[in-house]
Amino acid sequence: MSGPPPSGFRVASDKPFLVGLGVLGGSYLLIIAAMVLADLMFLDYGDRPVLGPEMVKQGRYTGGEATVAVEPGRSYFFQRGENEAGLKLDDQSVTGDGLFQTDGSTVTLLPDQPGQNKPVTASLRPKARVLGIAVTNHVATVTTDVMHGLLWGEFIRVSGTDAPGWDGVREISDTTTNQLSFAVADGTPAATTLVLSKPNPLVQALRSRDIRFSIKLSLVSCTLTTLLSLWVSVPIGYMMSRFEFRGKPVIDTLLDIPIVLPPLVVGLSLLILFRYMPEWLSDAVVYKWPAVVLAQFMVACAFAVRTMRVTFDQIPQRFEQVALTLGCNRRQAFWRVIMPQARGGLLAAGTLAWARALGEFGPILVFAGATRQKTEVLPTSAFLELQAGRTEGMLAVSLIMIAAAVVVFIIARTLGMKRIFA
Amino acid sequence: MIVLENIALRQGSFELSDLSLDLAAGEYGVLMGRSGCGKTTLLEAICGLRKIESGRIILGDRNVTELPPAERGVGYVPQDRALFPTLIVREQLAFALVLRALGQTEITRRVDELAELLGITDLLDRTPDKLSGGEAQRVALGRALAHRPLVLCLDEPLAALDEELHDEMCRLLERVHRETGVTILHITHSPSEAKRLAGCHFRLANGKVQRDE
Repeated sequence: MSGPPPSGFRVASDKPFLVGLGVLGGSYLLIIAAMVLADLMFLDYGDRPVLGPEMVKQGRYTGGEATVAVEPGRSYFFQRGENEAGLKLDDQSVTGDGLFQTDGSTVTLLPDQPGQNKPVTASLRPKARVLGIAVTNHVATVTTDVMHGLLWGEFIRVSGTDAPGWDGVREISDTTTNQLSFAVADGTPAATTLVLSKPNPLVQALRSRDIRFSIKLSLVSCTLTTLLSLWVSVPIGYMMSRFEFRGKPVIDTLLDIPIVLPPLVVGLSLLILFRYMPEWLSDAVVYKWPAVVLAQFMVACAFAVRTMRVTFDQIPQRFEQVALTLGCNRRQAFWRVIMPQARGGLLAAGTLAWARALGEFGPILVFAGATRQKTEVLPTSAFLELQAGRTEGMLAVSLIMIAAAVVVFIIARTLGMKRIFA
Repeated sequence: MIVLENIALRQGSFELSDLSLDLAAGEYGVLMGRSGCGKTTLLEAICGLRKIESGRIILGDRNVTELPPAERGVGYVPQDRALFPTLIVREQLAFALVLRALGQTEITRRVDELAELLGITDLLDRTPDKLSGGEAQRVALGRALAHRPLVLCLDEPLAALDEELHDEMCRLLERVHRETGVTILHITHSPSEAKRLAGCHFRLANGKVQRDE
């Protein structure tokens, strides 16, 4: 039985409204998921070969194609530029990027649009081969046939050896243009062959002493910040929620200042504040690890206070009033009746504070500096990696932060679930 | 016994002044009045949850005007019942007893006795969200009675109950009154409820309490 009701009144369809909700919400969710996924996918998780210097000379495709002399039987790494269609070797052509082996003595770069006089943009680099291995005083020195471009402090994966005890990721302790050294254990038998490759940035980051320190400092300082924030935000949130007093609007505004202030300014203000502190105190804090905690605390705590206040606002005063008539004083009513109900809010405030503290960067840079092994936290590491031109390293550090945040959220959610299902 | 002597109250722009009320010990008093005339405020003042500006409040034979709510010896059942969401029924009933540091056996005995009186023995291990309206009302009543108060303040205890439960709860209140001998002050809108339960009628209107005979 369809058709208009007798009165002729018809209500418009709900479809546009629901579709609108779905599209708006869905697109935001999609961006969030895509953002994290992009980070995970961009990183090349495989090992990379150790490559020698660039062999393609700068120039233009005046004669149509460009020829590069190569050594027969050797592996090369080709990377197409924006003006190349591919590479011709012997009789076949290579269009993708990657390693290839050649039998002939020349390869030819194929321009994208022949005869247009475009610059040469491709890259061709030989894969480094190991010529000799020498061991003196537990230090192995490996000679490569080309410049390897590796730096002291980087990590190198050793594989394909003919003796036990060599395979694994090693820290490079010394380099020259075509030699590199790393420590080997006492009594390791001599090897005559080995293959070098660069482990992926995540391994590089997790093996690096600096980044290990910054992971540790981040975890410790965030946890400390969270505990401090909860310790302060519970009484403030309760006070602001339950009591009326003169100057309350002023205090309310003051509590929001760290949220609205640019984070960098918070750091600067702290730095200036500590100029007025006694010397022993500012010596102990500024540019040391306590400065990291204090900088994180100033911002994270403001968010925790907000959360706790809303939490207490949502618990009716009635509960305390009943508890008071049953024989509680205010302290007992708070601990026996209010806090058990505020557990979810407490968890939310803690999680929020932890996540804020983990991402805090500006104030820490200003107030604690960015000293490796001293005040370096994960965002600082990401920044230092970027400054050193290692985008992949920065991405690796970002992934570590994402992982830490995910773990904390899962823990918080699980604890929250327990409360719901208990 | 509840005696209010010339009480003045203020809550925002709302004001009550020179209020007096006298309810003898062991009596069942019902206070009626329009919505918003200050019945709940008056009850809160008796319980010590709201400061009075002047006057005296006497419960039993003590002047409790300056005492904190905990020491007044009142049982309070608010309109929304306000059962503690994180405690099971047994813990709600034992709440006031634990605060008074009674022994475990004594607490158990008293809780069982209350559960028996109110017919909630089967509900002792439930949390409040698993209780129906009538059951929650019984638990709230039990919680308020646990420490044997002299005075029981009920704020519209039967308001949200259906006809059948309403009758059942009325019988229960009569029974509680008879068996415990507690002085009860009961707020309601319903004249039939007042007629059925009350030994003593009060009406709050125009800032005055009148005693209806």
